[in-house]
Amino acid sequence: MLDIKNLSKSFGALQATENVSLTVNEGTIHALIGPNGAGKTTLISQISGYLTPDSGSITFDGRDLLALPAHKRPHAGLVRSFQITSVIPEFTVRDNVGLVLQSLDNQVFQVFAKAGSDQAERAKADAILERTGLADEADSRAENLAHGQKRQLEIAMALAADPKLLLLDEPMAGMGVEESRNLTTLLTSLRGTTTMLLVEHDMDVVFSLADRISVLVYGKIIATDTPQAIRANRDVQEAYLGTHELHQEDSA
Amino acid sequence: MLSEKHLPAFYALGALLLVVLPWILTAANSSYLISTATRLVIFAIGAVSLDLLIGYTGLVSFGHAAFFGVGAYVVGILAFHNFEDTTVLGFDGTLTGLIVLPLAIVISALFALIIGALALRTKGVYFIMITLSFGQMLFFLFVSLEAYGGDDGMMMFEGRNVLPVIDLNDRITFYYFCLAIFAAFFAFCHRLVRSKFGRVLAAIRQNEDRMTSIGIRPYSAKLLIFVIAGAGAGLAGALMANHTEFVSPGLTHWTKSGDLMIVVILGGIGTLIGPVMGAFVFLLLEEFLPIIFHELGMDLLKEHWRVVFGPILILIVLFAKTGLYGLIFRKNG
Repeated sequence: MLDIKNLSKSFGALQATENVSLTVNEGTIHALIGPNGAGKTTLISQISGYLTPDSGSITFDGRDLLALPAHKRPHAGLVRSFQITSVIPEFTVRDNVGLVLQSLDNQVFQVFAKAGSDQAERAKADAILERTGLADEADSRAENLAHGQKRQLEIAMALAADPKLLLLDEPMAGMGVEESRNLTTLLTSLRGTTTMLLVEHDMDVVFSLADRISVLVYGKIIATDTPQAIRANRDVQEAYLGTHELHQEDSA
Repeated sequence: MLSEKHLPAFYALGALLLVVLPWILTAANSSYLISTATRLVIFAIGAVSLDLLIGYTGLVSFGHAAFFGVGAYVVGILAFHNFEDTTVLGFDGTLTGLIVLPLAIVISALFALIIGALALRTKGVYFIMITLSFGQMLFFLFVSLEAYGGDDGMMMFEGRNVLPVIDLNDRITFYYFCLAIFAAFFAFCHRLVRSKFGRVLAAIRQNEDRMTSIGIRPYSAKLLIFVIAGAGAGLAGALMANHTEFVSPGLTHWTKSGDLMIVVILGGIGTLIGPVMGAFVFLLLEEFLPIIFHELGMDLLKEHWRVVFGPILILIVLFAKTGLYGLIFRKNG
């Protein structure tokens, strides 16, 4: 479904993405892990169009993604969420989701249709809020939500776009244990219908969700494999999990 | 202080006041003030159109008077050629309102499209500076039009535009004509900011970077509202040209853009009705401060009334975050 070939991006002397090739198969949950500063968000930003790669190619659903402007990618089914919460602060939770529905229904330029009186949109938005555990907060202003709830709203907005491929940039960051567990359950329920590329630091989440895992270190993919194989991979242990853990496993 | 629940009543009262104003002024033997009232209504159209940009979309445009000027010059130039019996770009001049007024709107929208397409590629301070530059470019363009009076501008010797049934040369009729257009434009803007498109504008103002990821291109939405606002200002300019029967580059000078901005901020950005109140207070002070100082025998201040005017504006903006609107209305919730 998503095919990245020889992608490179540098910022001055910093090689943030170096010759990355990665394939995400339809219906799978593909996790992208790596230490801080490995270039995970940079990679997500190139796929979603926020950054333009220096070289390489990205194919999505059989089409050349790099030829598609960033704002058209969600319409093609490619949707991202943000590591740093980015919602519309003065809108209600329902309006945040409603705005996404409006955009995907190509109603951006409706100058006369009153916002807020579209019952179909409201019902759709409420259904998504129900799924993401925000039903009780539908009428709250987004800026008044607790941090964990804002993270949930971030996911709700991504889901509202009805993605074929969901790029999740550390969706659990800053969530409590309970919220994190609920989100894991939600993502599990999407398995098979929505393909996901998941950046996440919480290894419990990664290993419980992912079908395949790629490890990114200093802009390079050093391994792509099943969770079991990744766990056993020496290079990964050394580069990512650290020699400390390696040492522990050796002595165990 | 009133709550926003009282807004409809406030609108109704304001509308009633504007409708009976000519009678009141005539009864008070001050019918010369009808001309000031007309200016107020026209000015309010320009201010409301600028509020769409500043208040609702977060686009601080510092060249809005340019479109005001374009609208006015369309009226002036066509009147000029009608008088001279010559053509402009192959077209005869005309005073026919049904042609002139829509044309003024379309041409100012066209200017807004071109200027907006370039200016909206920048953001923040750069956007302010580039709109200011475009405004000044148009100002000097009009100054250079020697055929149309250059610096001095030109008179409309044959009077105002001509409409079927309605006689615009009648002072009171013209006031009502402007009032009706203002009411229609206000209703349109009121509807627009509450529409789905209006919601997109509000989202752009609050978090523009997020738009791309939900499939919205902010540039297109901003360009559309820039064109709508430009057309609104052009309409106001066309009315102003008819009102004064005189057109000059001064209409597009950057200080006029500044006046419009002051009115919007003074009244309260993002409220529509605020800028209308702002226009009201602005014109009132402009009209009466010199008179008051004259009566008090303070002739120096009469000459330099803006010295007092400035601090009054600063005080209002300082003490009421959302301007006059914020002084009168408490925000819901």
